[in-house]
Amino acid sequence: MSLKRDAQTFLTVIEANKGIIYKIANSYCKNSEHRKDLIQEIILQLWLSFHHYDEKFKLTTWMYRIALNVSISFYRKENSRDQISQPLSDGILHLYEAENTGELDAEVDRLHRFIKELKEMDRAIMLLYLEENSQQEIAEILGLTVTNIATKISRIKLQLKQKFSNVKT
Amino acid sequence: MKELEMIEIWKSYDKKLEENLVLNRKNTEDITRIKVQSFISSMKPIKIFTIVIGLLWVVFVDTLIINLFSIASPFFLISAGIQVLLTKLAIGIYLYQMILIHQVDISAPIVAVQEKIARLKSSTIWVTRLLFLQLPVWTTFYWNESMLENGNAWLYALQIIITGSFTYLAIWLFFNIRYENKDKKWFRLIFNGKEWNPVITSMELLSQIKEYRDETKSENSSR
Repeated sequence: MSLKRDAQTFLTVIEANKGIIYKIANSYCKNSEHRKDLIQEIILQLWLSFHHYDEKFKLTTWMYRIALNVSISFYRKENSRDQISQPLSDGILHLYEAENTGELDAEVDRLHRFIKELKEMDRAIMLLYLEENSQQEIAEILGLTVTNIATKISRIKLQLKQKFSNVKT
Repeated sequence: MKELEMIEIWKSYDKKLEENLVLNRKNTEDITRIKVQSFISSMKPIKIFTIVIGLLWVVFVDTLIINLFSIASPFFLISAGIQVLLTKLAIGIYLYQMILIHQVDISAPIVAVQEKIARLKSSTIWVTRLLFLQLPVWTTFYWNESMLENGNAWLYALQIIITGSFTYLAIWLFFNIRYENKDKKWFRLIFNGKEWNPVITSMELLSQIKEYRDETKSENSSR
């Protein structure tokens, strides 16, 4: 059955995949104010592209492509358009403070820090890998070959493992 | 750190988000009502404006050259000719940028989209190179035969020093303004300021994409 292209369906799609948007925006934008803008920009671009969404691709493939393309290009923002004409005062995604789980939280923070230190394209690959996308899917999202992706993933993983072990020693 | 551990850490983060991340539906709905063009298309107006101004300048200088051809000094004709030729090349770059803007589909694969956006931004550096290349003609266009015939050694020497150094500087900058020199002091001095950051970042991205492309090529050739 083909997907309806109205605002209500769009809202349902965003609600179901809000984690993807948040995780990508958080990995590409350190500043929390800018992150709000980035999330808004991603959702806006998703909406503008929603009517042209090609159903031969998975919905998540389409979302990952747009969210990553917007996030990687977000460096333009500093002097491109002066934001959306009607910026929303409150954010769209809000993360409530959760109970601190000690060591595990520290590990999550560390992993985040190391991911943010990766180059933009490597960061995209690592995010997609951690999200447990198959190499075939990652290749499709990036537009590279599966072999190329496999090589890249093992190289980046090695880099991250090295960083973790440096912290522990 | 084992591979599985990394995925487990990420899953715990995922779980936390699932439990604590809330979507503001009203604000999301508001976004679907905002009338705004895509962020790539938003670059169009300034490009179009620059092309129009550039074309007006080209028409003006070309008209001057044609109408004054029989009476103007060769210094003016050659200087204006070089200047207008370089302006035409700069307009060509802006037209190329318009084509790239038109071609970018934000839902297409990341490497292809980023390459187009990075080319779009970094091609601005070409305009700067052309701008510098026209420096010497601004030191020669006002010369005429009478200055040549009646000038003294000091005037000639001064003119040669000025035009010579401008030519040297222009050619040197033309060949040296490139990504590899981005950390040099003189480069930072010229491209200092927030407006240049996206251009430099896009050059950095282009070099990352080139690495990816080269790896794919060598992978294909080793098969």
